[in-house]
Amino acid sequence: MAAAKPSMGASNYRLFKDRAARWSVSFGGVMVLVALLLIFFYLLYVIEPIFRGVEINHQRSFESPGDNVVAMGMEEQSEIGYQFTADGEIIYFALQSKRGTDWQPGQELLRGQLTEQQPTTFTQTQPQNNRYAYAVPGGAVRLVEPKFINRFVDGEMQVEPRIGEVNEGKLIQVDPQQQDLTKLAYEYDGESKLFAAETVDQRVIVNFIQAKRNFLSGEVELDSKVSELPITGGIDQIRVTPDLRQVLVRQKNRFWVFDVTRAGTVRERQLITLDSRRFGQVNTMVLLAGASSVLFGHDNGKITQWFEVAGDDGRRYQFIRDFQAADNAITDIVVEYYRRTFYTIAENGDVGVFHTTSEAELYRGQPDGYQADNLVIDPRANTLLMREGNQLHVFDLINEHPEVTWSGLWQEVWYEGYPEPDYVWQSTSGSDDFEPKFSLVPISFGTIKAAAYAMLFAVPIGLAAAIYTAYFMSPGVRKVVKPTVEIMEALPTVILGFLAGLWLAPVIEDYLPGIIAVIILVPLAIVLFALLTSKMPQAIRSRLTDGRASLILLPLVALVGWFSFQLSPVIENLMFDGNVREYLTNELGITFDQRNSLVVGIAMGFAVIPTIFSIAEDAVFSVPKHLSNGSLALGATTWQTLTKVVLLTASPGIFSAVMMGLGRAVGETMIVLMATGNTPIMDWNIFEGMRTLSANIAVEMPESEVGSSHYRILFLAAFVLFVFTFAFNTVAELVRQRLREKYSSM
Amino acid sequence: MISVTPTNQQTESLDLDNLTAEQTAMEIRNLNLHYGDAQALYDISMAIPKNRVTAFIGPSGCGKSTLLRCINRMNDLVEICKVNGQIRLHDKNIYDKDVDVAELRRRVGMVFQRPNPFPKSIYENVVYGMRLQGVNDRRTLDEVVERSLKGAALWDEVKDRLNASAFGLSGGQQQRLVIARAIAIEPEVLLLDEPTSALDPISTLTIEELITELKEKYTVVIVTHNMQQAARVSDQTAFMYMGKLIEYADTNTLFTTPTQKQTEDYITGRYG
Repeated sequence: MAAAKPSMGASNYRLFKDRAARWSVSFGGVMVLVALLLIFFYLLYVIEPIFRGVEINHQRSFESPGDNVVAMGMEEQSEIGYQFTADGEIIYFALQSKRGTDWQPGQELLRGQLTEQQPTTFTQTQPQNNRYAYAVPGGAVRLVEPKFINRFVDGEMQVEPRIGEVNEGKLIQVDPQQQDLTKLAYEYDGESKLFAAETVDQRVIVNFIQAKRNFLSGEVELDSKVSELPITGGIDQIRVTPDLRQVLVRQKNRFWVFDVTRAGTVRERQLITLDSRRFGQVNTMVLLAGASSVLFGHDNGKITQWFEVAGDDGRRYQFIRDFQAADNAITDIVVEYYRRTFYTIAENGDVGVFHTTSEAELYRGQPDGYQADNLVIDPRANTLLMREGNQLHVFDLINEHPEVTWSGLWQEVWYEGYPEPDYVWQSTSGSDDFEPKFSLVPISFGTIKAAAYAMLFAVPIGLAAAIYTAYFMSPGVRKVVKPTVEIMEALPTVILGFLAGLWLAPVIEDYLPGIIAVIILVPLAIVLFALLTSKMPQAIRSRLTDGRASLILLPLVALVGWFSFQLSPVIENLMFDGNVREYLTNELGITFDQRNSLVVGIAMGFAVIPTIFSIAEDAVFSVPKHLSNGSLALGATTWQTLTKVVLLTASPGIFSAVMMGLGRAVGETMIVLMATGNTPIMDWNIFEGMRTLSANIAVEMPESEVGSSHYRILFLAAFVLFVFTFAFNTVAELVRQRLREKYSSM
Repeated sequence: MISVTPTNQQTESLDLDNLTAEQTAMEIRNLNLHYGDAQALYDISMAIPKNRVTAFIGPSGCGKSTLLRCINRMNDLVEICKVNGQIRLHDKNIYDKDVDVAELRRRVGMVFQRPNPFPKSIYENVVYGMRLQGVNDRRTLDEVVERSLKGAALWDEVKDRLNASAFGLSGGQQQRLVIARAIAIEPEVLLLDEPTSALDPISTLTIEELITELKEKYTVVIVTHNMQQAARVSDQTAFMYMGKLIEYADTNTLFTTPTQKQTEDYITGRYG
């Protein structure tokens, strides 16, 4: 009885095994999806902050310690602020209460009288130079540079303000005629100082002062060179650039540019009259950080940006772009220390935050309802100090990535100093004034270019090899050939990369005509060989089986290849005056880089061929025999059967082979890194290199600061790469499905 | 026990050993075939009469399909296959060195066991052979399609959807399409390799009726494992066993009065 019943124990065990297998397989599958999604969302999480706008959050308000304030500033920690008054006083005050001190917001910390007499005018340098100048009666100037001493007391950093004398507190005579100054501009650079000023008798003078050490006495002497500018009738604003090369003067809507040489001589370069109907009246003029651009604030609420562009008659200032900053007149523009972000104040107290290059409007309005008369940004651009009447308001400023906008990443951007808008990727440079240029277009283009040339090389060879192996090769040889080619796929690409960069690139450079001859002659030789054998008598042809034909063909191809290389110097001498590179560059105007697309095409082609070969071979081989037999039985030749039935039936597989190859080429890193030269240029020229998304990430990720715009944009590049491969594979799969529906056999 | 009664008696019987040249479509002479070291066909000689249906019967593995595939040299595709002897078409040995195999197969068409339409439209399937010959004239092709599909008794069923995929047809329709494709290039001989073994009984019946009509224009050679089918459709039958041609006679004669013991055993169902 018992034996007749199915054994429950065994059945439970089988059930358990079945369940366990099902669950572990499902778990594996789900984990793959989860991992993919995690990568996807992590990328988005890192990228997302670059598209955030500006946040301005009110922290505290207090009464302004000084009256008649002409300028304000903050030290780096945003703990202490300072003000300059029209009476020549500097006042340091606490911006916040601080542990270990009895500071209250607005509490005065230090006050100093800088001038004995009432100053006639005041100026400040570009923010990063942090100097201020009062003109005193008699055409002399008193300079000051606010200083802060950092000390650690009980593990807490204490900041202590100092007046910061320049020139030991002595006056510097700017106008030799000792007239009072009504407008003043000042910049310095090492030992040199450049002053530009308007005097009370309406002369506009430039004084270039160089400190020179007398080599006999060892004393420092100030060598002053004064020039007078040919401007009459009073001016509105005067500025000098921090490189001491230019003096910029504004008189209503007229704008002069004067060059200052190292010897101190001054020459007029350019005079622009801003069309008031087009731009409105000019209210104010400032230099942007980096001092290559001039910003004008207009009475119609517009800001216009101008910078020098190289033209036929040298570098000239030119209108670049404008911003609608407010609905009424602009009263002041404040620039940041290092970035191309600027802050506008309008007549009604509206504040605007903009970034020039990315053309981004980051903020417009009255932060928390406060109206600005005056504002200043700290050196790290994370605190904003605003004056409204005799009240001061402190704001937290969150503005991490103003230079990045979606349009700036994908559209042409007119960078300072460039003759026209362009796609540029240039993330770092040695200079502080440098503006990073983040256009993803050149590197996306590079990716596509590299992949395209690789496919140009790999698709014909990979598919031809696959078709030959699957369709013509005898099973014995196929058994050896197929795994061999597939093993090539496991070859580390770094090996291919350095072979391409260090061996192939110089070979191609030396034998360029030979390489081109190979590309032309080898296929020609094969076609000629086929033509020749087909013209032979039937008796010979029937003995010439495929195997024997390839035994003759292979040495023939090798011979033609060798011959092409031997021919290379001959062609070079006969057709290219002995040097192809020079001929290309001089006669044809084609740039030739040693690391070029041809090298990448060949090297990456080799990396892609096994992928294409393997999948396409499987596809062709798995075409049912009864289909090809059906075709042959209708009197088709092998070739006709191949082209009309086999390839058609295998087309879904062949298509996915090509797309898989493309996906591989797009994501490939090591080869392009080592063999392309990594130049982010946009040109289809086969003799020039490129920089791809993947190589760009590999090159720049180690040197980018975590959390910086550069870092996040590299993640964005990774995301774009992800989307690229994702899109390729999706399209490939969709097309493959369609093809399979249409052509799959039973 | 299965009783097999020949039903196909309308054709006059021929003296199969002494056919005139006009009566002969093909002639097989002393054919031996080896797959590697194994011999599959032993010294087969027979004449296939013109405009008649000849059936090859025999148990599985007896070599009937192999013999059929020799007639249009489809065995060439099997690398280890070696053929000795002759098969003559119009007094020309098709195994001669100077024979164009593609041209031979155009003249000796073949239909396989499983329907194998190409992944193309019905129209393109039928004109496939014509296009191979370089015929691309639309009107000619249209005529060929209509004639062939009518010849294969498929025209009425598909005339409204000639551009639809051939995969949309039923198995029986597909097999008739394959026959239409074969007769589109007007072969002299049509080889059918178990053409109904993958089909249901009704489709089988349709194909059998079609075969009977086909012999008006073509010489038909059919391999079948189904004795009733051989009896129904063929004019003469060859019984093969273990690679040898045991008996070859009028279907009537073979099924009613077999001369060989093996034949009798087979047709009475003792083995096979």
